[in-house]
Amino acid sequence: MPEPSANYLAILKILHQHKVKFIIVGGVCAVLHGAPMATFDLDVVHSRDRDNLTRLSAALEVLGALYRVPGRHEMEPSLSHLASERHQLLMTRFGPLDLLGTIGKGRDYDQLLQETVELEIGPALKVRVSTLESLIKTKEETGQEKDRAALPLLRRVLEEKAKA
Amino acid sequence: MAESRTPSRNLEIGLPLAHEQTYSSDGVDLTLIRWMLSLTPAERLQVLQQSVESLQSLRDARAKR
Repeated sequence: MPEPSANYLAILKILHQHKVKFIIVGGVCAVLHGAPMATFDLDVVHSRDRDNLTRLSAALEVLGALYRVPGRHEMEPSLSHLASERHQLLMTRFGPLDLLGTIGKGRDYDQLLQETVELEIGPALKVRVSTLESLIKTKEETGQEKDRAALPLLRRVLEEKAKA
Repeated sequence: MAESRTPSRNLEIGLPLAHEQTYSSDGVDLTLIRWMLSLTPAERLQVLQQSVESLQSLRDARAKR
C-alpha cells in the first residue's frame, strides 16, 4: 500500500465534522504546545462510548482507514476493535492515525478529559489536546525509551511557557 | 488557554537577544522553543506540516535515485 504524506489538519477536520470526541496526545500535541519537533503520525485517545464509536467509525470510512500492522493489512477497524483499550494503528488517505483506547497507566478518554485544553487550529476548528503537564506525565508513566528521550524537550517547553 | 505571541527573538536578524540563554543545561535549543511559542497553535501545526512535507520530498527524491 503506498504511504500518503501526513495531513494532520485534513484528518482532524473529518473527525471534527463527524463530531467525534477525542483528545490529541503524542507528538502533534507536543507541537501544538510549542515543542519544536517532527512527528509522522497523529495520536488520539477517543471516547469509547457507543455513540462516539459509531461516529468515529463513519469518520474512519471517509478517511479510508485501514490497519497498517502486519497480519491486519487492508483490514478495516471494527466497532469491537475501536471499543478496545488497545492501540489501533491505522493508515488513512491523509496519513497515519493511531487511535488509542488508553495511554500511560491505563488512562482513558474520560480520565484524561480533566487534563485537557481546547486549542483553535483553524477557522471554526477547535480541538481538545492534553495539557503539556499531562503529556509529560504520560510519557513518564510509559517509560519507553522513545518517550523518555522526549522528556527534556517537553520539560524545557513547559519552563519557557511559564516564563512567557 | 491564552497563548503568548510575544516574539522572544530579534526576528530582523534571526538571532537570540544578547541576554537570552541559547541552550538549556541538558542541551535543548531554547531559541527554537521560544520561536514556536511566539506562534499560534494553528501556525505551529503549519510548521509541523511543512516539516513533514519537506522530509517526505527528501525521501521521495532519494527513492528516485
